[in-house]
Amino acid sequence: MAKPVNEMTYTEAVTELEQILAYMQGDKCDIDKLSTLTRRATELLKECKTRLTATDEELRGILSQLEEQ
Amino acid sequence: MPNYGISGLQKALSLSKMTESSPTQYYSLLQLQELLRDLIAACPMSQNVWIVAELSDVRESGGHCYMELIQKDTNTGQNVAKARATIWSNVWRKIRAEFVQATGQQFATGLKVMIRVTAGYHPQYGMNLNITAVNASFTLGERERRRREILAKLKAEGVYDLNKQLEFPRPCQRIAVITSATAAGYGDFRNQLLLNDKKLRFHVKLFGATMQGTQTAQSIITQLDTIATEHDKWDCVCIIRGGGASTDLDGFDDYELAANVTQFPLPIIVGIGHERDITVLDYIACRRVKTPTAAAEFLLSLGDRELSELYGLASSLLQIANNSISGARQQLAYISGHLQMAPVNALHHAEKRLDAATLSLSRIASTRIQPLRANLDRMADAIANATTNSVSRASMKLDSYSVLIEALSPKATLKRGFSITKINGEAITNASQLRSGDIISTEFFEGSVSSTVN
Repeated sequence: MAKPVNEMTYTEAVTELEQILAYMQGDKCDIDKLSTLTRRATELLKECKTRLTATDEELRGILSQLEEQ
Repeated sequence: MPNYGISGLQKALSLSKMTESSPTQYYSLLQLQELLRDLIAACPMSQNVWIVAELSDVRESGGHCYMELIQKDTNTGQNVAKARATIWSNVWRKIRAEFVQATGQQFATGLKVMIRVTAGYHPQYGMNLNITAVNASFTLGERERRRREILAKLKAEGVYDLNKQLEFPRPCQRIAVITSATAAGYGDFRNQLLLNDKKLRFHVKLFGATMQGTQTAQSIITQLDTIATEHDKWDCVCIIRGGGASTDLDGFDDYELAANVTQFPLPIIVGIGHERDITVLDYIACRRVKTPTAAAEFLLSLGDRELSELYGLASSLLQIANNSISGARQQLAYISGHLQMAPVNALHHAEKRLDAATLSLSRIASTRIQPLRANLDRMADAIANATTNSVSRASMKLDSYSVLIEALSPKATLKRGFSITKINGEAITNASQLRSGDIISTEFFEGSVSSTVN
């Protein structure tokens, strides 16, 4: 069972993404696994993006902090 | 300034005489001060001489520039000489501009300078050095020399490259900022970083430090120590300073500070001062930028690169997933196309195989059965022969038996003269069987006769 994405470091997540990509690019990619892999990759991508970028709500918070100063 | 040269000397001579006589005669303070003024003015070695000194307490007032000149003991760091100095406004305007132009920094406290001075003594204000020229290239060289000295020391200790060799963590989002809390540069930095249009997430915390003057190095080192105790909470450190008014960068050219920066466990971004300001930190920090804004831009570019990589991965994954699916679909189409033909082909194939089997069977018959059949034929002949032979042998045997049988038959006996006597058809072998009156028949080889017993 794969590790839950929120327990992974960013680097671990990106490394796994790269591994999935390499596997899918390889000849041995099993079509049965495709949807599982794609789902996992999507989860990883989403988690990484969430860590990199702030939500609009967070941005509003930052903005109000900056205005206070 | 009037020249008191000769009269000052004369007064000095008369004063020395007076000290030996009775104290009924004396000079006023002003007279003494004027004497000193004249003495100094008369000494050509105190006029327009080049000296090297360190600037201290430099300030501007009424267009003039006032300061203290100091000299420190190179070993103890204690002041060993000190004098007030002035640059009058007409000279100051020119010197200030030229100095900044040549050295890239302000004529300010902490600098070691080579200046041309004329010593003057004012009866009311005392000793003062009037600065008439500055040799900017000395300051430049002096700073450069100090910087090289520090860098050479770091290299000799093998720590010069340490911070440069660190890599920025992925992602680089938690930023410890060492700067002056009040500096405009920090606000710019925060705005630039936190309000980026890519919505990149950053966590920024200020570690306030003095960013100019002699306290600079120690103040930054203290904050570096603080950050080091919690270094797992931070991805990198930014030491930044907004341009602002007086630029005094000498505080950054400090060996202790440099040694702390090179050996710091996190990558350090240095953005102090302007384009032309270079300090030791610019050589040894993991990343050198010109301004706080540029530091923010650099961090944004790291985040941007991370995002692009993520998007690249996403689109590669999508493409490969699509390719795999369409490949599988093509494979299916191929298979289903071939599936329609398959039964026909299979029948055809089976037929061919049957034909081939039949052919080879008949071939087997001809090559294998033929010799067996010939063998059978031969055996049949042999059997027929054997039968014939054995029948003829038996027949011959029979013949010989019949001769024997004939020889033993009653006829043959009869022929030899014997006869058979019978009563009622039965042969009589004992005469007692007969009674008188019985009719008996006697058989001969040829014919028979009846007789009556007596």
